[in-house]
Amino acid sequence: MADQGVSESSSNVSLDATKGVTMMFFGLFRRKKKAQSRKEAKDRLDSIVTGRRRSVPVQEVIPAELLKSSETDVVTQIKGYVAQRFKVKEENVKVQFEEHNGYVVIITNVVFH
Amino acid sequence: MAKTYVVTSGKGGVGKTTISATLGAALAAKGDKVCLIDADIGLKNLDLTLGLENRVVHTILDVVNGKVTALEALVRHKQMKNLFLLAASQIATKEMLSPDDMRRIVAELYPKFDFIIVDSPAGIERGFRNAVAAADRALVITTPELPAITDADRVIGLLENAGMAEDDIRLIINRFKPNMVKRGDMLTKDDIQENLAIELVGIIPDSEDVIVATNTGNPITLNGNQEHMIAHVFSNIALRLKGEMISIDKDLIYGGSRGFREFFKRIFGRN
Repeated sequence: MADQGVSESSSNVSLDATKGVTMMFFGLFRRKKKAQSRKEAKDRLDSIVTGRRRSVPVQEVIPAELLKSSETDVVTQIKGYVAQRFKVKEENVKVQFEEHNGYVVIITNVVFH
Repeated sequence: MAKTYVVTSGKGGVGKTTISATLGAALAAKGDKVCLIDADIGLKNLDLTLGLENRVVHTILDVVNGKVTALEALVRHKQMKNLFLLAASQIATKEMLSPDDMRRIVAELYPKFDFIIVDSPAGIERGFRNAVAAADRALVITTPELPAITDADRVIGLLENAGMAEDDIRLIINRFKPNMVKRGDMLTKDDIQENLAIELVGIIPDSEDVIVATNTGNPITLNGNQEHMIAHVFSNIALRLKGEMISIDKDLIYGGSRGFREFFKRIFGRN
């Protein structure tokens, strides 16, 4: 009985060893799934670069006359917002109005230095 | 009347000088009269890239100092008789030239050429401002790496601030590796273009032959190897700058894996 127990346990050990060797053998040929650096680069790039151009949804359309009459007020508000947002002086913010295909485009330039 | 392009990038080492020289040669090969201006004063290399370092007699500083006119200071290329160089001085500094000097020089050359290409130094300081001053268009060079792209983005902002229209600022991606893109290890052309939001006019695949061309002072478009894949890409870029509509995907045809035929050619075709 005791002999049988020993031979059983030794056969279990050899079975485990065989299994281990087999796993190692196949492990050599298994293709490692490499992390793709493009995705990380894209996420980082998106977070860095989007500062220059940001899409803002149109929430309200106002008549051209109203815009014209409140032009100074709009410029002052944009200058204030941009100066606060980018931590620059208000005189470093230049605001221009241009008409393109019937739309009024507000161009804001910021001089950082 | 010349179209005046400044070749700029912000980051150094992305290939501005090599692209200026090779693109100039590609445009000259198409029959245009091209003038290259080296604005990288103190660290000039455009003459070396073109193999003209021994032919330079007068530099841009001699023009600024009134010793010679801009036309008198030009060096004609050995092979391409319609390709000219206005060399920079090695001993001068960027502060010795002003944006107004550059405007005066370009104004003198403007009526005589089809294309004027100004090779800008790296950075966004005085040298950059000099190079940009006289240009009406810009070619922003980047490689598909984050530092180069973010610097390119900054430069685009500065160019727009200087009054250049967005349509006049165009992008070239250099040292592109399609195989790395396929593996997911490099940013794609769309990733870069989406972020920089300017028109892409060329994708130059990475090639060891460009280093060989620089070593010999023969731009790859003049190497007697016009069938080379890089020469094709530059030819495409030159045509796009001349206003022809050529798909950007055509540049990528030359940048993929070499394939079996090319592999055997490389092994058995060695000298």
